[in-house]
Amino acid sequence: MSDKKTLGEMLTERGVSRRTFLKYASYTASIMALPPTAATAIAQGIANARRQSVIWLSFQECTGCTESITRAHTPSIEDLIFDFISLDYHHTLMNASGHLAEEARMAAMKENAGEYIVVVDGSVPLKDDGIYSTIAGITNLQMLEETCKDAFAVIAVGSCATFGGIPAANPNPTGAVAISDIITDKPIINISGCPPIPEAMTGTISYLLSFGSIPELDHLGRPKAFFGEAIHDRCYRRPFYERGMFAKSFDDEGARQGWCLFEVGCKGPVTYNACATLKWNGGVSFPIQSGHGCLGCSEPNFWDMGGFYKPLSTAKGDPLKWAGGAVVAGAAIGAASAAIARNKRNKVLKEGK
Amino acid sequence: MPRDSAAPCLSERATGMALSVLTEILQMLEALAESGASGSIDLRSLPLSDADRAELEEALGRGEVRAEMELAGESEVWETTYPGVWWIRHCGAGGKIATEEISVCRIPEILITHPVDIEAAAARLKKELETTHV
Amino acid sequence: MELLEFARGPVLTFAITVFIAGLAFRVVSLFALWRTKDSSAGSPREKSVLSAAIREIIRRLWPQVAYKQRTMFALVNGYVFHLGLAIIVFALAPHILFFKDLTGLSWGALPNNVIYAVSIITLVSLIASLVMRFANPAQRIISTFDDWFSWIVTFLPVLTGIIATSHLGARYETLLGLHIMSVALFLVWLPFGKLMHFFLVFVTRGQTGAHLSHRGAQL
Repeated sequence: MSDKKTLGEMLTERGVSRRTFLKYASYTASIMALPPTAATAIAQGIANARRQSVIWLSFQECTGCTESITRAHTPSIEDLIFDFISLDYHHTLMNASGHLAEEARMAAMKENAGEYIVVVDGSVPLKDDGIYSTIAGITNLQMLEETCKDAFAVIAVGSCATFGGIPAANPNPTGAVAISDIITDKPIINISGCPPIPEAMTGTISYLLSFGSIPELDHLGRPKAFFGEAIHDRCYRRPFYERGMFAKSFDDEGARQGWCLFEVGCKGPVTYNACATLKWNGGVSFPIQSGHGCLGCSEPNFWDMGGFYKPLSTAKGDPLKWAGGAVVAGAAIGAASAAIARNKRNKVLKEGK
Repeated sequence: MPRDSAAPCLSERATGMALSVLTEILQMLEALAESGASGSIDLRSLPLSDADRAELEEALGRGEVRAEMELAGESEVWETTYPGVWWIRHCGAGGKIATEEISVCRIPEILITHPVDIEAAAARLKKELETTHV
Repeated sequence: MELLEFARGPVLTFAITVFIAGLAFRVVSLFALWRTKDSSAGSPREKSVLSAAIREIIRRLWPQVAYKQRTMFALVNGYVFHLGLAIIVFALAPHILFFKDLTGLSWGALPNNVIYAVSIITLVSLIASLVMRFANPAQRIISTFDDWFSWIVTFLPVLTGIIATSHLGARYETLLGLHIMSVALFLVWLPFGKLMHFFLVFVTRGQTGAHLSHRGAQL
């Protein structure tokens, strides 16, 4: 349950100094692309905040987003977020299960009405009254609507919740939709990615905590701090792209030299995310650095972009699928037109005789 | 900038960013001297290659003061050979650099003890004395 | 992303299908027409039909002395943008990938910045050809919709390609989507207007050469 003490008071009792807060605030300011001087304000904001109640709803998802946000090695500043929030409901991480878990959810909603944040991962199926995904006897749609009613804000994490993701990929048998297609009366932040970068999720929550407001969002509702630039524009292999030096296949000479991966399907030019700067696993690497093209996983419909290995400059499907028919049809019309012309000529010649 | 042994393209090359940062530091240092206004540069937000960072660190050097801190992971602060120019390095899990900053000021805020921590310390010491020296 | 997906998906499929159908229509409707048989004996100087055809095509690559001075600018400018277009379309790496996806064939590419320079020259050259057509009163009077529209559908891919490569004015996926749509427009129009000259010019010049050779004209 959430605490009535401020976070500052709570953590001081536990021996976590304000100095540690300031370090965390510097880190948050940096990844949110705020100036270093914002750290003081962030530290103060978090210290004055109450432990934030968070209800995490999981629908048609793979739990990858939870896996991403919980990557921790030793207690570190990356883990502090779990001190700042009270994760009142989470299928994978909470102790309770069954109807006790549902009671915990309802209690958190009641106690923190108007102040809790709802985090959602997974898409919501709508076909056949939404029976394709149910929890505790109610459909995802019902659970989403009832939980979001008194929420302060909604954060949709992962490409499934933000855009529909893999359940919504062609042919979308369950009628899966994004959270923003259902909830229209609450502020929604979309943190897309399959999964999202952990810092994108924790940085956004920290921002909400410190400033009590939504960070600047792009036209798809994603925080500009993480989704404002294309991978292509920050990719360290960009000079190879400009010079036309491409890997033609995996493990060829170009691939070994670390050349651009455009020809093996990299979607970097049309994908907006922080992979090229923040990277993954605490800054270790990201797909392109590891030798695989960007999948475009933070963009809508990335599963249906034509194929992970089809370069961006090719057609999406098979544009020649009707080529045979086109030749036949064109030739037929051409033959007909020539026949008509011949006919006319013969008529004229005959009349002339 | 990423460190990539498989693609030794940009990581090892100095791009001239170090000089650019040093110029900005000079402006901030002059402002500090004149009006006491402090400034900061977030190194993580800049496109610095490994060579650039090494060049910058070497150019600034280490001065008289150094502090090692244990704050949910290691952190290190040192004054460079230019008094007023401080280098703050915060590490997270596994000793990886989480964020780095150059702060031009009389003393970085992170080194100053917060009033709340002082109050908590006084209360704790009082309690300690009461229980052990009754 | 939606524009780009739409462009790379149904729009390209439609455009390529219409392009192929249109080409088949034009070629068949022309070659299925009657041929007037020439029963004359033919000059002793006559070369084989194929050889005469090829010689004429080559000969017409450069104008006769009498016409050279008057047509020089149009000629040189024409070569500039034809060669430019060929280089851009066939030597840029992403374009080669497009052809490889369609046909399985691929070849070496030129560096992007070389193509960029060529495309600027091509753009200017195309604009010059439009200005020439408009400024010359005789040309302007005889120009039809086909003339102006064919110019537009050729110009737009070059322009949108340069804008996309330069990342100017909108998000990259929008610019790329617009570029692909402009190419689709070009493909859909090509078989039905004067752009068919890309194939027909060889047919007509070859036929003229064969005919002249049969008559014994000095080639």
